[in-house]
Amino acid sequence: MLQKLEINFEQVLEENKHKIFRICSIYAVNPLEPQDLFQEVVFQIWKSFDGFKGQSTINTWVYKITINVCLRSKMKLDKTNQKTDRFESIHFTPVDEEIDTFEHENFKYLKACISTLNETDTSLIVLYLDDLSYKDISSITGLSENHIAVKMKRIRKKLLDCIASKMK
Amino acid sequence: MLEQELKNIWTSSAQTAQISIETSQLIKELNAKMDGIQKAIRIRDIREISASVIGMLLYMYLLFEIPFPMTRFASALSIVWFAFVILKLRKSKTRHITCKLDLSVRGQLADQEAAMRYQAALLDSVAYWYAIPPFIINCIFVLGLGNPAEYNWTNSLAESILPLSMNLKIGTITGLAFFYALIIWLNKRAASRDIKPILEKINIIQDEWEADNESNG
Repeated sequence: MLQKLEINFEQVLEENKHKIFRICSIYAVNPLEPQDLFQEVVFQIWKSFDGFKGQSTINTWVYKITINVCLRSKMKLDKTNQKTDRFESIHFTPVDEEIDTFEHENFKYLKACISTLNETDTSLIVLYLDDLSYKDISSITGLSENHIAVKMKRIRKKLLDCIASKMK
Repeated sequence: MLEQELKNIWTSSAQTAQISIETSQLIKELNAKMDGIQKAIRIRDIREISASVIGMLLYMYLLFEIPFPMTRFASALSIVWFAFVILKLRKSKTRHITCKLDLSVRGQLADQEAAMRYQAALLDSVAYWYAIPPFIINCIFVLGLGNPAEYNWTNSLAESILPLSMNLKIGTITGLAFFYALIIWLNKRAASRDIKPILEKINIIQDEWEADNESNG
């Protein structure tokens, strides 16, 4: 039973680690680094893993925990905002930036534009950029699909205008 | 720029860091962290309950040892109050730890708001359950102390500790008044400095979630 749980956990983590890290890299603010936030998300997933009831897909469930942990960290609800010792079993290796400087630059612009959005719009846009359907976003956020559509129309325009001005 | 290009930029950002995880080692570390947190919670609970239990034992001793009726009555009230504090703190902890991170974001915000409001109310109302009742009980206790000789009571230790003269009684009550006023002030400060800013932030985010909702406007 425990072994099955560990295998499932490993699989879920492997499938979602990059998505989680991307979201953490948007929410992490000094002195907290994306790695610290990533570690906290992994811990919370492990803590709640046994209680996953399958009412939503496992990926949607992981997004819920990731966004909630990130929002809590922004609101300074957790004492874990203070830097803690990192897990030695998680290794982050930066990829050589020279591999694709253009892509890296674009991501920096995107990140800068996302940082101009409020917390709510940030949560919605990161889910949208991860190509989630409005139905999934609705399940994660608790907003209706219509409400999300109205919000996304405004957020997309704001983001595209910002990116366009940065790329000029 | 097309939206698809934005999505491509976003998903390609994953390549800026390679994440490798040694799962079996990670599970050991996660379990160790979980155990550490549970142990810290247990120690904190034991420490808080022990303070009240020691208080109860002390007043039980005084209840049987001291002959003055008013003081004995105050001792009995103190025991009841310590029991009430244990129950109140345990109830508040149960309420505080109900943070379910697998709720929807909106649900999680509502849950956090309710928990924070409860915490703020608990700290704000400290005067009514943690300061004024024991202050009144302690006043009854001190004022009820009489002349040991009239009751043929001899206990050198108690006599050397208890404020038996009027000057000592006034001094003790004044000291207690300052002590409980300090407790009220510290808790009210914690509510307005630590809890209320978070509550305001939660409300701002909740308003942001509700914005653009056509059914609202």
